[in-house]
Amino acid sequence: MTQYTPQDKVPLPPADAKVFTTACDYCIVACGYKAYVWPEGTEGGPKANENALGLNFPTGVLGGWVSPNQHNIVSVDGRPHHAVVVPDFQSTVVNKGGNHSIRGGTLALKCYNANGPTKDRLQYPQIRVNGKLTPVDWDTALEVMAAVSKHVLEKYGESAWAMKTYSYEFWENTYAITKLAFGAIGTPAFSVHDKPSMGSDTGGVDDAGIITFSASYQDWAEADVLFISGTDPFETKTIVFTSWIMGGPKLIYALPRRTAGVAYAEANGGLFLQVTPGTDTLLHLAINRIILENGWEDKEFVEKWIASSWDVDAGMGRGPRNTPWQWRTTWGQFSADYESYKKWLLEYEPAQLENAAKVTGVPTEKIRQAAEMLTGAGSSRPKASFAFEKGNYWSNNYLNTASFAAMGLLCGAGNRPGQVISRMGGHQRGWMGGPGYPMDKSPEKLPGRRKIQLDLDRWTAAGNVRFVWVVGTTWTAAMAASQELANSFRKLTVENPNQIKSTNKQDIINALIARVDSGGMVVVDSDIYPVEPINTEFADIVLPAAAWGEHDATRANGERRLRLYSKFYDPPGEAKPDWWAIAKFAKKMGFSGWDWENDNDVFEEAARFSRGGVLDYYALVWYARNNGLRGHEVLRELGTQGIQTPIRWVNGKMEGTARLHDSTLQLDSPQGPTVHAKWLTHFDSHSGKALLLKSPWELWSDFYERVTPDPAKGEFWLSTGRINEIWQSAFDDVRKPYIKQRWPDTWVEIHPDDAAQYGIESGDVVRMFSDDIQVQTGGWVRVKGYKFTDLVKAGHIQSGKGEAIAVAIVSEDVRPGALFTNFLHPASPANSLVHRVPDPFANVHRFKLGKAQIEKIGESPYKKSLDEMTFKPRTVTFTG
Amino acid sequence: MTTNACDPKATLTRRQFLFLSGAALVTLATPKFLQGVPGAEALSLQQAGYPRTKVGQLSALKAGQPVAFQYPFDHPNCANFIYKLGVPAAGGIGPAQDVVAFNSLCPHQGGPLSGRLNTEHQVLGPCPLHLSTFDLTRHGMVISGHATEGLPQIVLELSGDDIYATGVMGLVYGFHNNLAEPNG
Repeated sequence: MTQYTPQDKVPLPPADAKVFTTACDYCIVACGYKAYVWPEGTEGGPKANENALGLNFPTGVLGGWVSPNQHNIVSVDGRPHHAVVVPDFQSTVVNKGGNHSIRGGTLALKCYNANGPTKDRLQYPQIRVNGKLTPVDWDTALEVMAAVSKHVLEKYGESAWAMKTYSYEFWENTYAITKLAFGAIGTPAFSVHDKPSMGSDTGGVDDAGIITFSASYQDWAEADVLFISGTDPFETKTIVFTSWIMGGPKLIYALPRRTAGVAYAEANGGLFLQVTPGTDTLLHLAINRIILENGWEDKEFVEKWIASSWDVDAGMGRGPRNTPWQWRTTWGQFSADYESYKKWLLEYEPAQLENAAKVTGVPTEKIRQAAEMLTGAGSSRPKASFAFEKGNYWSNNYLNTASFAAMGLLCGAGNRPGQVISRMGGHQRGWMGGPGYPMDKSPEKLPGRRKIQLDLDRWTAAGNVRFVWVVGTTWTAAMAASQELANSFRKLTVENPNQIKSTNKQDIINALIARVDSGGMVVVDSDIYPVEPINTEFADIVLPAAAWGEHDATRANGERRLRLYSKFYDPPGEAKPDWWAIAKFAKKMGFSGWDWENDNDVFEEAARFSRGGVLDYYALVWYARNNGLRGHEVLRELGTQGIQTPIRWVNGKMEGTARLHDSTLQLDSPQGPTVHAKWLTHFDSHSGKALLLKSPWELWSDFYERVTPDPAKGEFWLSTGRINEIWQSAFDDVRKPYIKQRWPDTWVEIHPDDAAQYGIESGDVVRMFSDDIQVQTGGWVRVKGYKFTDLVKAGHIQSGKGEAIAVAIVSEDVRPGALFTNFLHPASPANSLVHRVPDPFANVHRFKLGKAQIEKIGESPYKKSLDEMTFKPRTVTFTG
Repeated sequence: MTTNACDPKATLTRRQFLFLSGAALVTLATPKFLQGVPGAEALSLQQAGYPRTKVGQLSALKAGQPVAFQYPFDHPNCANFIYKLGVPAAGGIGPAQDVVAFNSLCPHQGGPLSGRLNTEHQVLGPCPLHLSTFDLTRHGMVISGHATEGLPQIVLELSGDDIYATGVMGLVYGFHNNLAEPNG
């Protein structure tokens, strides 16, 4: 690893440097950036007319600047060029005035540079011959894949041919992926990077009639009080916090861990509800009960916008309760109108304040204070908004989201400026699905005629997958019980006797077909780096992908803002966009309709699949085609501002949509290609009203009790998450020497009381381990019961092992009895300590509820040296 | 052009040596009166092109009371402070190696960090603009926040009781080159 050396100068782009607009590659916020590119050998000067930035150096506070970590050397048409990538100082949206995070601020360092830390980018297709990845040409790699795929499809059927992919790496690629998997192949064995199935992320909010990315960033700023559940936007959606939330609403945070954002909230009139992991449902219910007991709900809103009993039952029982979970699965256990919800909750003992305080660990007075802050407690009603993310829906998925939505709705939020209920997001909105998931082919079924999207992890571990194409995800490390999953992979791939021993194409095909026919699995991995272990250990074929900045691509951010991410330099070697590899493979398979020549061809084709949806950009492509333009070029003209989807055609021009369910939006008759969806002005339900959903704790309590750590056995809660300075698996960060100096290793936070008990100090290396990780197996067609207890009785639950190593940080910011660690560090698969028992209604993992014992195994070099890493608290506030 | 005779026993930390050797260094002749004095080699390190400027006196420093100075230019962005931290710090001088100096503009968007010293944790910040914090014991490394480089550390040298600034590790906010005369 290259040591970090701070620089004391940076080259400025000359006035004639080429300028490209783009957006950040990392978090959901997608700040606007500009890339300045010019040939080596020249530099701009410090006067505004001597550089392309138009800045006079030295600049002043908030005046725009270029730091040394915003510069790199890239290749353009094979010749070395300077590239400076800086936030758009002129931006008036998203990152106003050039605000940026440390992640996006160092985007230049991610670029491929043959003489820098990114030199290990994958450059050529490779096939594992005699255990070693060996370069081959694209045709050979894809012909082998096609031959094996044809064999698998013919002999074992579609569900033996699987894909595991990112959901976010640009619309052009995800459209191609779904066109292949769901359209051409028709496989149900498919899931995206962060869940084992294609089930909904946020079922309870969806079923309430709320589309999860309904808000604009302006809504967070306009709120008077903002309830934030299961995330700290300061850490993970930084610019939403620093450009929109800071200085705006009073904040209520519900989190198990005190973060920098929480420290800010507490110092600025906010409130911290430090919940015990997994108990958010009871916190929400207790708040809702206080609101209803006191009559603090927004009665006018409830009267107008909450579904009545007639609305709930409308349409021959197929009214709004005909949601994916409700009608055929749970038989109305959640459905309620206002009166029946109120009656249920006021009689529901688990939601009683003292009980909720005991289970959640949040003092009664703080729960009451939250209800008062959200409603005004009978005096003037504040604008309350509700934001949530993975700490909420990755612990108790359905019940947390359902009770959270009900809390927001009682406070009158969901359909007005500054009064919204919305996800905050993780990755960007890079999913542009073409053909839909073939539910009819899914082998998995819940009780009651209810097909469910297949749990691909469980399906793979059971040996049902014979060929899988993994696109841009670590898969095993990113999923629950990851050590057990990796063991399954090992058995199905490298431990199978049928391995490639020759570079002859037919020999390769024969070896892989013999693998398949002996019950093994063939793995193809498309990625940008050698990713452990999926690519370095398991993959038979590795394909090199072109990434951000290396081809023109599109996607939207957390307020549905669509931008073009411009190509500004060459991809390394023979790396290609994933859509290109998919199209070429499809042709080798003999499929028709894969003749795209460039990124824009895919973008324009996908537009018709966006019609009528939240990300609808059909009007843009319609406009482009009517005017002899290309869709990408129309978007390029919109620069870093882009346009918020759905895009509507209004009075001869494109118009963006600030928020969904917007009761203040005035719509004229639809024009041009535009059709107005109901949810533009109403909720996304049969009646256009929102639904209050009951969320009975009993549906979850058996699982919760089983996985609750036993302090007598030395067990801790293990929660995982992101931290500001690192993006995702740190795939770029480990190649950014500046970031690597800050975080040379992964870490785990432990409370001082717990640390003292185990003799652990900051800087010690600790081992987290468990042999009691619950793993669900088999049971594809279930006749009765969907609770954990039912699974145990049916013999579908086993215990597995997990282990991860990390550098300890002793911190009062975590709860006693709870640990917090990075969720996806390549050297330390924390998800090995997460139970693989998905939420029964959505088939998504409960990543935040891991369990571990802990022991000290040594000291890291950072404990005594002052060179790298820091153990200082992240929650220091200024009180001077 | 890096020439250096770093004695492992010298008072510089390994990290500072790495930092320094990455930038252009000149080795000044060790003054006669210092020859044979332990640690004197460190005193001879000076970054190429940077002035050697007296910025304070060791005996006048008090813990928790930073001392302001301008370096390398008399420009608003070149406002720095010397801190006596009371615990050893990377690049620290003095008998306790606890005296360090840093630029006081946040290298995120230039927010003013002056006066925002947390003495308990030796942390500077949070920045009033966007809440970045910096660890003064570890080269001004960002603890939490957004800066795309650490807080620029002013290289210090001790000569008797006199403290000299001899270089800057990292680019001063707003500058494109620390040694380019502002408005020059």
